[in-house]
Amino acid sequence: MKILLKVLKYILGAALAFFAVTFTVYFFNLDMKATALIEPLLQKHYDAIPRKQSL
Amino acid sequence: MATVFNPKERKGDKELGALYSDKLRVRKRREWRGIKDTAYDYSRWLYLWSIMVRVSMSKGFVKGLFRYRWMSNYLFVPHMLDKFTIGLRDEPLRITHTAMDFVVYDVAESIKNCMRGDRRIGNDVKFSENCVLCDENAMTAFMMGFPTVKATLREVPTMFSANLLNQYSTTHYLDVAQQFGLPGDVCPMPEAEVGISIDDDFPVLGKCAVQVNTTCDGSLLGNGVIAKRLEREYGIPTFQLVAPMRHKEEDVQKYAAEDIKSAIAFIEKQMGVKWDWDAYFECAKRVNQTTRDRLQWLEINSTNYPQFVGAVFSLYNDTNYMGNCGRSADFPPINEKLNKLIMRGYEKKTMMAKEYRHRCIVWGVQPQYCIDMLYWMIQCWGVVPLTDMLSMVIDREIAETDTPENREQAYYDMAWLNENMIMRNRTHGGYKVLVDELWEFCEKMNADMVMMWEHMSCKALCGMHGQFEEQARERGIKLVWVSHDLCDPRVYTRNAIRGQFSAFMRTVMREEPLDPSIEVLPDDDNAL
Repeated sequence: MKILLKVLKYILGAALAFFAVTFTVYFFNLDMKATALIEPLLQKHYDAIPRKQSL
Repeated sequence: MATVFNPKERKGDKELGALYSDKLRVRKRREWRGIKDTAYDYSRWLYLWSIMVRVSMSKGFVKGLFRYRWMSNYLFVPHMLDKFTIGLRDEPLRITHTAMDFVVYDVAESIKNCMRGDRRIGNDVKFSENCVLCDENAMTAFMMGFPTVKATLREVPTMFSANLLNQYSTTHYLDVAQQFGLPGDVCPMPEAEVGISIDDDFPVLGKCAVQVNTTCDGSLLGNGVIAKRLEREYGIPTFQLVAPMRHKEEDVQKYAAEDIKSAIAFIEKQMGVKWDWDAYFECAKRVNQTTRDRLQWLEINSTNYPQFVGAVFSLYNDTNYMGNCGRSADFPPINEKLNKLIMRGYEKKTMMAKEYRHRCIVWGVQPQYCIDMLYWMIQCWGVVPLTDMLSMVIDREIAETDTPENREQAYYDMAWLNENMIMRNRTHGGYKVLVDELWEFCEKMNADMVMMWEHMSCKALCGMHGQFEEQARERGIKLVWVSHDLCDPRVYTRNAIRGQFSAFMRTVMREEPLDPSIEVLPDDDNAL
């Protein structure tokens, strides 16, 4: 019984931690703010790729 | 019209301008919609990320991300949903998410398939040999009887849906096309597709391809260039399915049906498969169900309490009607969910803003996917977009039982669907479908206002200006022209687009905004 309670406590703790982190990311739009920073770097990378341009 | 007031106060954020910042390319934070609706929105956000993570783990995704410029736009899927759910609560929020979750899933699958079959990335030859490349701007009706063959619309992930996520997704490709001497005054949508082809940024897969003449000079220009590269460089034979433009005329129908027969014969020959009538009529039943559902949603939108509106209404219909065309059994359950939510919202008289001042039909060649204009109109000015030109497609049902007569009729039905693809059915086909029927829809849907999208590079509506204005005046309908250049934000910025609408509301209608905090938004330069 004690083990079961302990496991439940861990699961609940993990779920709460998951919620706290993801909700913070969600609400403050941290996911999109981060991707908006990454995207220009990717554009530079695409510019550097040699392409077989042809009409 | 008499203003309809919302007796229910909106929970959470009241002034939506608080979400924006001129220092950021995206929103400052997400909208607070009260505990219940924020929790719902958060759950959908988690679901979206789960789709994105799943796709990113599929074969070839990472390699594709570092190879294809358009792939980077898919990092912004949640941002698109933020645009389409601005100010929404209760049923309209759930309707939008239910529809868009499925559109996102559908596009994600399409990306996965493109990467899997792409000669440069996944190079799954067996899979690629089972794919028919289908033109994005086409009804996929000619694939309804080929259940074992994969119809792949590679322009959807590369151009169309990428532009929903990032307004600048096409600008590089437009520049490439124009550097190669192609004219800059055609529609930027097919021109961007040409740019992708020239830049060698399309995934290369498929045993054969079917292109369809769309509605404009840009599309004809694009198809030629893309087909040349497909056939001569990659050895993918391409069939040109040519739908008649005067699709209301009886004497073109036989030709159109014969052309469908030729397309089917081409696919049978290339793929080594036979047309399956059982599969066709199964799909036809789903096409008819889609039509019935759409008409029911429009019926609800004709009342004082519209539920399913805006860019998502149009996007979902486009995906289901044109891209799917009855071929997927996954759509009907989504339609059922939407039906329930729409009926519940209507019965509860759920509203999307504190006032509905005007009931508007959105007409013309529309850019509303790339910006949040229609939702902004509701929240900022209390103008409800009841429906749009691209959603007003077929309203009669096609033959759905397998009989010898219906097998012959089926070719005419497929041709008729192809002629009535979104946009072509209105911008071509004569005066009646573009002008006369607009006023019929205004009457049916009790609209007192029309917003005419004026696409600068589109010639489809040229010469009709005076007629629209004169006839709207005769009927006492307020008509506003709003210019744009579809997916090229450098010609008309978002604020330039919204500014035309706001100027009309202030100077002609003599009204003040419901939410002044969003009349001008800092989402022009560099914003996604």
